[in-house]
This record gives sequence, C-alpha cells and structure tokens, in this order.
Amino acid sequence: MATLDLNNISKSFGNTRVLHDIDLAIRDKEFVVFVGPSGCGKSTLLRIIAGLEEASAGKIVIGGTDVSNAHPVDRGISMVFQSYALYPHLTVFENIAFPLRVQKLADADLRTRVGRAAEILQLTDKLDLKPGQLSGGQRQRVAIGRSIVRNPKVFLFDEPLSNLDAALRGDMRVELSQLHRSLDATMVYVTHDQVEAMTMADRIVVLNKGRIEQFGTPMELYHHPATKFVAGFIGQPNMNLLPATVKSVTSSGITAVLPGDAVVTLPVEPGTVRQGDQIEVGIRPEDLVAAKGLRATVQVMERLGGVSITYGVLPGGTRICAALPGDTPVREGDTIDLGVPVDAAHAFDQSGAVLRRRNAPQIAG
Amino acid sequence: MADTVAVPPRQARRKVLPEGVFAWSLVAPAMLFIGIIVAWPLVETFRLSFTDAGLGGETYVGWSNYAELFHSGKFYDIVYRTFYWMFLSVSLKLVMGLIGASLLNAAVPGKALFRVLVMPPWVIPIDFGVIGWKWLYNGYFGFLSGILQRLGIIADPIALLAQKTSAFYAAIVTDVWVGTPMVTLFLLAAMQGVSRDLYEAAWVDGAGRWYRFRRITIPQIMPVIVSMALLSAIWTFNSFEIIWILTEGGPRGATTTLIIDTYKVAISSQRFGEGAARAVVIVGLLTAFSLLYLYFLNKVNKHYGAK
Repeated sequence: MATLDLNNISKSFGNTRVLHDIDLAIRDKEFVVFVGPSGCGKSTLLRIIAGLEEASAGKIVIGGTDVSNAHPVDRGISMVFQSYALYPHLTVFENIAFPLRVQKLADADLRTRVGRAAEILQLTDKLDLKPGQLSGGQRQRVAIGRSIVRNPKVFLFDEPLSNLDAALRGDMRVELSQLHRSLDATMVYVTHDQVEAMTMADRIVVLNKGRIEQFGTPMELYHHPATKFVAGFIGQPNMNLLPATVKSVTSSGITAVLPGDAVVTLPVEPGTVRQGDQIEVGIRPEDLVAAKGLRATVQVMERLGGVSITYGVLPGGTRICAALPGDTPVREGDTIDLGVPVDAAHAFDQSGAVLRRRNAPQIAG
Repeated sequence: MADTVAVPPRQARRKVLPEGVFAWSLVAPAMLFIGIIVAWPLVETFRLSFTDAGLGGETYVGWSNYAELFHSGKFYDIVYRTFYWMFLSVSLKLVMGLIGASLLNAAVPGKALFRVLVMPPWVIPIDFGVIGWKWLYNGYFGFLSGILQRLGIIADPIALLAQKTSAFYAAIVTDVWVGTPMVTLFLLAAMQGVSRDLYEAAWVDGAGRWYRFRRITIPQIMPVIVSMALLSAIWTFNSFEIIWILTEGGPRGATTTLIIDTYKVAISSQRFGEGAARAVVIVGLLTAFSLLYLYFLNKVNKHYGAK
C-alpha cells in the first residue's frame, strides 16, 4: 500500500489545456474522491495516474517511486472502468484471472488468488458464468475482483457506479466503503455525484475547469467551502447563493442587504470587502428556519416525508430553496418568512472566494 | 381475471377481412416474387435433371444423369478440386483479411487513405481486374514472367496459365485478390466495434499487443470471422467468372470446378439435362455444407458470449 503524489500535473489536448498544475498528496490507505462537473478533468487526471494518458508536464509518484514514464502495469495500480470492461467471451473466473494469466502465474497460485477475491466479493457461485448472465451489481464486483487479484498499491475507480440504478448504487456505495476498510488500500475514485463523494471519501478533491478548487474532508468542504463553486457543488439540495450589498463593515462582521431589503450581520472576516461592494451570501437550505427575515413566495413544495423541500422566489426574482420540517403547513402560492441563521451563513467576495467564518461549527469525523 | 375481460364492443362491430385472408394478402406479393424468381427455376432445374433435355427436345430418363455422374471418376476429381479450391482460397482470404484489417485498424496517420486503397479489387468490374491478371500471367508479354526472367529465376518465358499446376494456383491468387477486400472491410468493421475499454483494461493489466489480439480481438470478432467464412465459402465455391476468363477451366481441366463443369455441359455443350443434374448436386453439397456451418456458427456464438 502506498502514498500517491501528483506534482504540477498539466495536460493539454492540442491547444486546449484541460489540467492546470495539479498538486496533490494522497496518504497511504486513504479513500480520495475526485468530484466535479463533466469536463472538469477528473477522468483525465485518473487516466494520467493510470498511465492511459500521458501528462504534458508534471510528476507522478506512487509509494515514493517516480512512475511518470512507467508502463501502467509497472505503476502498481489497477483500474475499474465505468463500463466495467469485462471480457464478454470469458467466464467470471477467467475475467478475474486475466491479469494473472498475463503475468503467467502458476495455476495453483492463480486459483487461490481468484478464489480469495471471489470470496471477498461474494462471487464464488458465479465463477462459471459469463458476464452477460450477471446483474449490473455483480458485473461491477467482477470488475473490482479483477483489480483486487493484482494486489495493487493504488486502486483507481472511474465512475464505477454510474451505470447502476439508484437503489443498487446505494448498496454498492456501502460495499465499496467496506471493501476499502477490509483491503486497507489507497483508493482514488472519480465521480460526478457529490453524494458518492460525501458518503465514501476520506477526503474529496473538488475539480473545476482543470483546477483543484478544494481538497479536504467531506465535512470540511461542507462547513468551510473555500470557494463559491465548492459551496454550490457540495450539499444536497444546493446552497442558496443570494446577491447582497455590503452596508457596513464593522468589528462584528459584515452587514449586508439581502433581496427584499432584509438586513443581516454576518460574523465573517471582511478581507478586502468594503462598504458598497456586491457580495454573495450562501445559505444552505437546511439552515433556513421559519422566522422573520426573508420573505419568499412558495412555488413548488417537494414533500419527502421527513423534510419538505420548498422552492420559492424572493422579491426581485432571486430563487431560494429551503428544507423545512416535513409537516410545515405551507402551500404553493403562500408567502413565508425564512430566518437567516447568521452563524451558518457563508459570504463570498466577487472573485468567488469565501470570507472566513468566525463561528463555524466543530468538524465531525 | 384476464379471461373475464370481454372484447371491446367497438372493435367487434368494425367490419374487417377475416384475419387469415388479410395476412395472406400481405404475404402474397413477396411469395409470388420469390416463387417466380427463385422457386420455379429451382423446381425446373430439378425436373430437367431427370430428362435428356437438349436443343432437340426432352424425354424423361429417370436417374440416369445422376448415375452417369456418380460413376465417372472425372466427376469425383472435380468435386475434390472444387473443395480444395474453396478451402485454400477462403483460408487465404481470411488470413489476408485478418492481417489487412489489423493493419488498417492500427492508429497510423493516413489510415483513411489506406482503407480506400484496399477497395479497388472489389470495386472495379471483376472482368477488368481478371483480364489485368491474365496479362500479368501471359507467357509472351506477361509482367510476372518478365520479372522472373530479369531476376534470373527462370531462363525462358513461362506461361503461368498454360500448365496445370501453375494455372490452378494462379487462379487461386486472382480469386484471393478479388475476394480479400470485402473480408478485410467486414473484419475491420468488427474490430472497430470492439470496446476500447477492453483494450485499455488489458493494457493496464500488462497485456502486450499480441496477447490483446489473441485474447480480445480474435474472440470478439469470431462471430464475424465465422459468418464471413461461410459467405466467402459459398461465393468461392460458385466463383465462375474469374476461372472462366483466365482459363475456361483448362488446361486439361486443371481449373475446372463444379460450376465451370456445369456451365460447360449445360451451356457450351447444350446438354441441359446433364447440366441440371450437376446443378442439383451443387445445391445439395452447398446445403449440407451450410447446415454444418450454421451448426458450428451457433456453437461459436454461444462460446464467445454473443447474445
């Protein structure tokens, strides 16, 4: 098992630069998730680590060895593909055994290793079947089995759950987390799904337009998003970003005017923000409470049972979303008051950088 | 529950043709068409094979055409030669096609141009191409003979089509030349249908080029290889114009396959009855061959996991 360090990785396709100076230090046995919208470069970065793409510049170090120019098989990695990339003409056994056959491993040894992988993944009774006879989740497990038998230093996963239905995806998330614990391996996992990132990662890399926006634990990202992008990307439903004008900057923080002339004083470090500047105030839907503050006209209610996701508009047309208690007696068309809990609110300057919060909660986990 | 549901009254009231009549009237045009252009000639051939039909009319002769055929040693030579011709030519087409498709599938600059360049043998009218080969093989002004002489391999001009063995293999070469491009393109299409992920996965696992070809490409395109082999076999078995233009089945029958023999008897000698008997034998042989083949294809598809 090993650490994985990326130093100044850049990648261009023709004149298009898709990765800009990526620096990343992944610890031994860590489960790191690369997350970001499509086209952010997360899959390219993974393929560069795997050796399927060549970096235009930079260094890849796995377990202290520079593998930047090494063949994939010599890097000590193994990869699980989005499509699973199972060989349809081979049995489950032969699919899992494939890397070992390439290595020309002795038959007895090969059988033990495939058997052990099959046991871990509960595939023992499926070994004689062809991939076509398996369910999506089982195919996924075969693909993982194929990477386990190689005993890699680092496991790479490229959106492995995106071909599964929602229910199965939930199950597989749990299975993958358990697998990570039982294998005690370094894992790098690419997804566009922030729920997968939040639930499985030890630490998350948020990528946007080929740059790292933030690298931190799920709760760090949730409570201390470094940028507006991270704030909007992490958390479900998405954080509300409300335009606001700075009324005054005092020792207790920034006093800002929100849509509908609601005035709040946010306990944040003002940084370079001055009176009269435009900022954005970020409030998570689950932090909004029924209290005096913002007045919103409700447009759509999504009653999920425990919570009611309430979508409305503020005066001036800004949309807002609040996660209210399940039985909130509100209907579409009603006007409601939403209180802004100032300690939970975030403020972003015009560049999108966060203003540090003074009363942020302790981070769990 | 389901059997208590009545037919909706609206549908029952509507006046329609009886279902059977309607169905048959839909199928009728196609059946008529097939009947005229396929079934009738086939039946007629079968009927003729029991007559001594020629230019002077016909009388029923029973099995005598067949008896004559099966008692002549020459006929067995021809059947043997036809299968030998077929297996050799089809094998070469498949091997060359596989090599060609692999080369065209490789990521090299200008591969689109090469893909176009393999097509002429298939695209130009077959007679032009074969006449070209006839010139190459010619003993007086032939290019091949000239080259061999220049290189000092032979002293005197050689007419490749004038000797039994060389004529047969020269015809094979030309047949392979005509038949390879199609095999190549079909195999290329099959290769391009193989998911890139499979190769990448194998590459990450350390599989080399040859290993990937052997354990991924070949199994993945096996159903297409097998189908192409069948089609190519039938076409090669019945390949007429290439041999006819080059040698007319000669010299001394060295390139006479079943189809050439049938043509010579039925058309050149105008012994329609005897020719028809040969045609029926061809149908029988090819049917048996195809059935065997489809059985094999089915097994291959099952083995290689095609749905």
